Amino acid sequence: MNQRGKWLAAPAFIWLLCFFLAPLFFIVFYSFFERGVYGEIVYRFTLSNYIRMADSIYVKILLDTLAISVITTVVTLLIAYPLAYYISGLPKRKQRIWLLLIMVPFWINFLIRSFAWIIILRSKGIVNSLLLEWGWIEKPLALLYNDGAVLLGMVYALLPFMVLPLYVSLEKLDRRKLEAAYDLGATPWKAFLYVTLPLMKHGIMNGSMLVFVSSLGMFVVPDILGGAKSVLLGNLIQNQFLSARDWPFGSSVSIILMVFSFILIVLYQKAVAAGQHWEGERQ
Amino acid sequence: MKKVFGFFLLLALLVGVLTGCKGEDNVLNIYSWSDNIDPEVIKEFEEKYDVKVNYDVYSSNEELLAKLQAGEGQYDIIQPSDYMVETMIKLNLLEKLNKENIPNLKNIVSNFQTPPFDPDNQYSIVYTWGVTGIAYNKKYVKDNIDSWSDLWNDQYKGRLVLLNDSREVIGMALKKNGFSNSTKDLKQLETAVADLKKLMPNVLAFDTETIKQKFIAEEAWIGTVWSGDAAYIYEDNPNIEFVVPKEGATIWADTIAIPKGAKHKELAEKFINYLLDPEVSVKNYEAIGYSNPNEKAYPLHSEEYRANKMIFLSKEELDRTEWLVDVGERLKDYDRFWTELKSGSK
Amino acid sequence: MKTRNQTWLSLFSYVVLLFLYLPLIVLVVYSFNRSRINAVWTGWTFDWYISLFQNRQVVEAFFNSLTIAFGTAVFATIFGTLGAYAFYRYKYRQKAVLSGLIYLPIVLPDILMGLSLLLLFSFFSVPLGKLTILIAHITFSIPFVFLLVSTRLQEMNVDLEEAAQDLGATPWQTFRYITLPILGPSIISSFLLTFSLSLDDFIISFFVAGPGATTLPIYIYGMVKRGVTPEVNALAALLMMITLITVALAERIRKIGDRKQKM
Repeated sequence: MNQRGKWLAAPAFIWLLCFFLAPLFFIVFYSFFERGVYGEIVYRFTLSNYIRMADSIYVKILLDTLAISVITTVVTLLIAYPLAYYISGLPKRKQRIWLLLIMVPFWINFLIRSFAWIIILRSKGIVNSLLLEWGWIEKPLALLYNDGAVLLGMVYALLPFMVLPLYVSLEKLDRRKLEAAYDLGATPWKAFLYVTLPLMKHGIMNGSMLVFVSSLGMFVVPDILGGAKSVLLGNLIQNQFLSARDWPFGSSVSIILMVFSFILIVLYQKAVAAGQHWEGERQ
Repeated sequence: MKKVFGFFLLLALLVGVLTGCKGEDNVLNIYSWSDNIDPEVIKEFEEKYDVKVNYDVYSSNEELLAKLQAGEGQYDIIQPSDYMVETMIKLNLLEKLNKENIPNLKNIVSNFQTPPFDPDNQYSIVYTWGVTGIAYNKKYVKDNIDSWSDLWNDQYKGRLVLLNDSREVIGMALKKNGFSNSTKDLKQLETAVADLKKLMPNVLAFDTETIKQKFIAEEAWIGTVWSGDAAYIYEDNPNIEFVVPKEGATIWADTIAIPKGAKHKELAEKFINYLLDPEVSVKNYEAIGYSNPNEKAYPLHSEEYRANKMIFLSKEELDRTEWLVDVGERLKDYDRFWTELKSGSK
Repeated sequence: MKTRNQTWLSLFSYVVLLFLYLPLIVLVVYSFNRSRINAVWTGWTFDWYISLFQNRQVVEAFFNSLTIAFGTAVFATIFGTLGAYAFYRYKYRQKAVLSGLIYLPIVLPDILMGLSLLLLFSFFSVPLGKLTILIAHITFSIPFVFLLVSTRLQEMNVDLEEAAQDLGATPWQTFRYITLPILGPSIISSFLLTFSLSLDDFIISFFVAGPGATTLPIYIYGMVKRGVTPEVNALAALLMMITLITVALAERIRKIGDRKQKM
């Protein structure tokens, strides 16, 4: 194949170079300087911002964030998969309608949707009022301002990030292959393992990567649905640029976050490439 | 081909819509809190001086600061809070006010003419003020509340709301222990923070923005609340009481100022002067419901407004208050304690 | 046995849909709430729908958001699709590292992207406004398109394309007539996703917006301090209703069209 088509990628790359990588240099820059007395940048080189991350309190925040992100990813996957499977099995026209129906809620501002969740879940909210009235509980349940609420919020916010890649992957799944497997006597579980799963591994991996990586930086959900009682990585970074006025430290935390994610993504891409070689597909 | 052409036409239209043309000189760009100035008052200013006023909003002082630090010259009027003014002065982000353009400045009550964060009103003018005290719902809180230590009462487990603000909350604990709310003494800080750690089990949530709603919906029964907010809550839930604890409280102010590099400085000063005119002032503050520092406007206000104890506090309450000031280097420690407090509290 | 699984699947899907729409239903109901601060229900009123149309600010913000979202979706989808296509069809050196870079914007916390872009724009004295918001939105959207399109590309059979090329098609023709149709679902998904991301972005927009260029999220976040009035709920309700009604109508029209064809 002639290589002229390579240039089709140029607009995307140049765009990202100008508007993503270039500004990023400011951040990398700042991470090596000091915070002045009043929050200004003092141009003295230092590694202290990076060393500071080794402090146990920040390590704890990192681990907490990782934990919640992993759980969020798993839960989202469990919910999104059957949904994506169902949609991809529908006739084409209905697929598009379902996709639209799923995305419309995300056109409504997340903040007011979160407030709506508060109206639903708070101590005098809809759920508690109903449960109390029906006599199922005696005291209102604490459904908000805790880890459960944060998980709910994260899953709620990130669902499309899993549904869409899964759908894209599943949509081309040839149902006939599945039928053939059934005809040959396979159980649904075996059919899933050996036919469906391999064909959509990209969808699963990409969706998971997207949800995981996005959840690492989230701060709105912990602030509103979590009652601002926890400090996740997103909150920590947010804080440094706002109330703590420590841009250098905020920058270094973000750089660490990005380096970590970068390595993750690169490893994943290499695994994908290797896997494809192994299976004889072309790249 | 037609499709492609039509497509580019759409693109061009899009770009045209987006860049749009902007008239330059007769414009005033205000950057402030939501609903901080009565739109009627703004409209009248527009008509009187034949200018267009843009009103953009930010939702926190810190966001305002970050935006100004990263890019100046966008706005002509900003409304930072007291501690932020101090920081902005030190970071050289404010323009000196030309007092000759603001003769109505003398209308401001005298003790607000020399606030600690800007002693000569060189850069800012107090716009509104309030005190952070304790608000509580007397339907559920039967005890007599008069001290910060009341917040620590076991009865309020899971019913306490604190402001999501490190300086306010740590400052409160400092005052409870008899210290200054802006101390730089590490030992004092550690005492206050240790005290706060014991408070955590009571905390329902940290919230600055939707704390009013939490009280109205009676999720929260007691908490640290701004006086102006307490007045607001009272309108929707008359069970609310407000008190300035005996150990003292934080007094704060929102100001009006001009950022460095403002393109319409004189017009901005004209606007400030306009707002300070007694009749305009009355109209403005009756609409927004905040405390009016304008002495000359006071007698012109409605009965209702003047009688509201949550808007106008008594002298002895005011005597117990202290302004927050910038703590310089120590901010790092305040932030670290705040992080510790939150990540330990589940 | 297949049909039983099918009913469970469809039941599950409808439950998830309900989960997604539950807050929206609450939002719509509360758009009729008498209370301005909208914390608890105090009574019925249509006032907010009326005041919504008189509120110049929110209507302007809304249209700004829509235009920017549409523009973002269009440009990001184009750039991203072309980019992903080229990336996965041709050889590049250090592909893994490059792809790491492409996906990096997703990881970058919003506040950093916003601040760093603001720094960049200030440095080059670019006037802030709707255009800078558009630029920022396209920037963070491209990686998502890349991801969705590549999911498809990685699983596609290249034989079809090679066959077309052997038969004399140019790269563009191959792309347009062979690849593009197969990529259909990912392109539609990309458009929907980037549209949503742009419509709801706050922090990045906040930092790169200029005077007079407010978007709906900036407006709403600003309102929070005083309480988000039911007007915003009314707006959300209207947006939802219009979209759902349009979809229903389009369906209706298509069904009629189908029936006509059959006759």
